[in-house]
Amino acid sequence: MKAPLIMHIDMNAFFASVEQRSNPELRGKPIAVIGSAKRTVVTTASYEARRFGVKTGMNKWEARKACPSLIFVIGDNQKYIDTSVRILAILKDFSPRIEAYSIDEAFVDISGTGSLFGSPETLAASIKDRIRKDLGLTCSIGIAPNKLLAKLASDMKKPDGLVIITEESKAALLRDLPVGELWGIGPKLTMHLGAMGIRTCGQLGAFPESILRERFGIIGERLKSMGQGMDASPIVPMGEEEEAKSVGHSTTLPADVSDKAVIRRYILKLSEMVGARARRHNLKGRKVSLTLRYPDFYTFSTQRTLPSYTNDTHSIYMTALNILEAQRLRSAVRLIGVSIFDIAKGSLQMPLFEEDRKKEKLLEVMDSLNMHFGEFTLTWGTIFEEYESEAGVISPAWRPSGVKMVNVK
Amino acid sequence: MATIKESIKVVAVFDNGIKPAKFKWKNRVYKVEEIAYTWVSRDGSQNIIHFSVTDGATLFELAYNQSTMKWSLEQTA
Repeated sequence: MKAPLIMHIDMNAFFASVEQRSNPELRGKPIAVIGSAKRTVVTTASYEARRFGVKTGMNKWEARKACPSLIFVIGDNQKYIDTSVRILAILKDFSPRIEAYSIDEAFVDISGTGSLFGSPETLAASIKDRIRKDLGLTCSIGIAPNKLLAKLASDMKKPDGLVIITEESKAALLRDLPVGELWGIGPKLTMHLGAMGIRTCGQLGAFPESILRERFGIIGERLKSMGQGMDASPIVPMGEEEEAKSVGHSTTLPADVSDKAVIRRYILKLSEMVGARARRHNLKGRKVSLTLRYPDFYTFSTQRTLPSYTNDTHSIYMTALNILEAQRLRSAVRLIGVSIFDIAKGSLQMPLFEEDRKKEKLLEVMDSLNMHFGEFTLTWGTIFEEYESEAGVISPAWRPSGVKMVNVK
Repeated sequence: MATIKESIKVVAVFDNGIKPAKFKWKNRVYKVEEIAYTWVSRDGSQNIIHFSVTDGATLFELAYNQSTMKWSLEQTA
């Protein structure tokens, strides 16, 4: 059996680079891709903008302050989704085992491809060439015996980097590497580990497992392995991802809203988006949750369990509405989210009553029309009172196919 | 970019993909000097190919609907 060899591909400043390819005037200039919503933030900054300190998540004012010559570009999610799908198609020419980790990152199992494509360096150069030739974009590539180290390697040299970590070289690399550099160890965990005197991967890998387990529970064992550069998580090829645990949509409102009638309309719109997506993938949920975020970012989320599984827009809407009506709003609302979870696949039970069968038929007709002519061609009249469409942000859970392939425009 | 969304007439080469060569908008003919980027979007069951093109001075986004076989000028800088 061939030793496992994993490649991680990370597109450099993806959205900004696509915009710079699309508009020659933007090439070499500091640009920031933002959403179309009034209260938007920077989703990606070009490397030219990053040199001025422009970062993802900054609001427009902060970004402009960091870089007065910054050019704002409203992102086009369809453009990025199509580009991502084309990148994955290129990768499929080199290996059948591709995991689309996010819209701009993928893992590729390149174990045993040497006889076809040469050394890992040659293979990486071929992939970079294809992406550059076909799309005009650059990427950073990390190659290692597992996903954890491959991701670490691709982060080590940006943009347009190639870093290879081998079994032989990993111990020296990890010895003094801060734990926070590892994929999966965030600022909070870094702080907790620091409080235990663990600052480097070398220290983490040598720390007694029993103490880590005592402090962090079941992940203690995994943390020690991570410190040693070990990771047994498999590549999950496209189409083999586990079934969605929930189906949800949320939206940041153009302005804070306290009028419950307006909030209800947004809830109906979100319920239709959730219901339509669940129906498309033949999923039903037994729990509905409503999330509200206030201007101070305090977020409230509550769920209700239904008597039976559903993907019916009206049932989802009524349940979310019941949650809303039971609340006294703290203040105006900034964000609203609706989800169904406790998911089951397939039609679990035929509707018993004629009226329910009619409702199901109506939804079938609505869905088939919307599939053919585009989302919301036929929808609930109430939605149109206030709703103004704005491009959403692509979720990190986005995948090129399946229930997580969300139409975001 | 300013939104236009108007039907236009386009001279295009269909050879190993579609390449717009010239288009007419508001009685003026623009020669496509560079196709900077292309991407595909979907509207229901319809595939729409987008072309970000320049005439050497101005950036335009053209769109070709593969179902209706119609061209439109979507945006211009």
